[in-house]
Amino acid sequence: MRNKKKHLDFEVNLIPCIDLLSVCICFLLLTAVWLNVGSMNVKQAIGGQAAVDTVKSPLVWIRMAANGDVNLEVQETNNVPVAQRKIHLDQVNNTVNWEQLETTVASLRVLEPALNTGLILPVATTAYEDIIAVMDKLKKNGMTDLGVSPL
Amino acid sequence: MISEGVLNQSLLGGVIQNHSVLNPQGKQHKRNLALDLLLTALIDAFSILVIFLLMSFSSTGDILFISKNMELPKAQLADALERNPVIKIDEGKIYVEDKEVSAATITESLLDLRTKYTELHPGEAFPGIATIQADRRVKYDLLNQIILGMNQAGYSDIKFAVTSK
Repeated sequence: MRNKKKHLDFEVNLIPCIDLLSVCICFLLLTAVWLNVGSMNVKQAIGGQAAVDTVKSPLVWIRMAANGDVNLEVQETNNVPVAQRKIHLDQVNNTVNWEQLETTVASLRVLEPALNTGLILPVATTAYEDIIAVMDKLKKNGMTDLGVSPL
Repeated sequence: MISEGVLNQSLLGGVIQNHSVLNPQGKQHKRNLALDLLLTALIDAFSILVIFLLMSFSSTGDILFISKNMELPKAQLADALERNPVIKIDEGKIYVEDKEVSAATITESLLDLRTKYTELHPGEAFPGIATIQADRRVKYDLLNQIILGMNQAGYSDIKFAVTSK
């Protein structure tokens, strides 16, 4: 009997793979959203609860001046020394000193770990992006309850 | 098999070698004009493209329509955007779900939306969530009108639309 040499090697047909990948690429390119839009969440008090029922927790008021100065005031806390409860941050080139704000909030959080509430008080001329930037800095330091005070 | 199939018949080994100018009168080779393309590299490139596009794919889709002259503020720690009533500030005008309103009528318009929600979802508590979409250069004076209107209409959860850094 004649022995035939059996070839074990075979070539995979790559054309369907290319077809599939091309369709995937076309679909993804057509449906791609290149701008990543997210949201910065704020919980506002709308006065539905009695003042007596409100649980007092440490909070920081952030007053933003028109020239970029920022004043921080920590309330409802015993862990932060009285001398450090009111902090003034000078502006840099007519904008908020972001680095100093971040380090100040971080140091306050070290002194008072329960400091989770931040209330922002802008003025009429404060830019929207500055308010968002302040919220971003507070969130970066682990503060979760943020609010914006109306004028 | 691979060396026979691909390398010997590849562009360098197959066609150029047969057209060698060093030995033009040499032994006549059978000219193989059918070129084998290296498909593996093509599939590699396609796979990388598909992976990149899948990574940047957004399943939330287009919730907001952002006009050409509008630039949202940037934030590092932004949450995922959800579909809620959208209040937009565009060129100094306020729109509630694409309907132009004024500072005086914004509360009324938001209360209408609230009434519609309670009609469509009977027995459910009103969540009071709305998204504010505004240009990053807008002053707080204008935003304040919206926040006051939202407070009066019982919207306590504000979601400021931002672009992720």
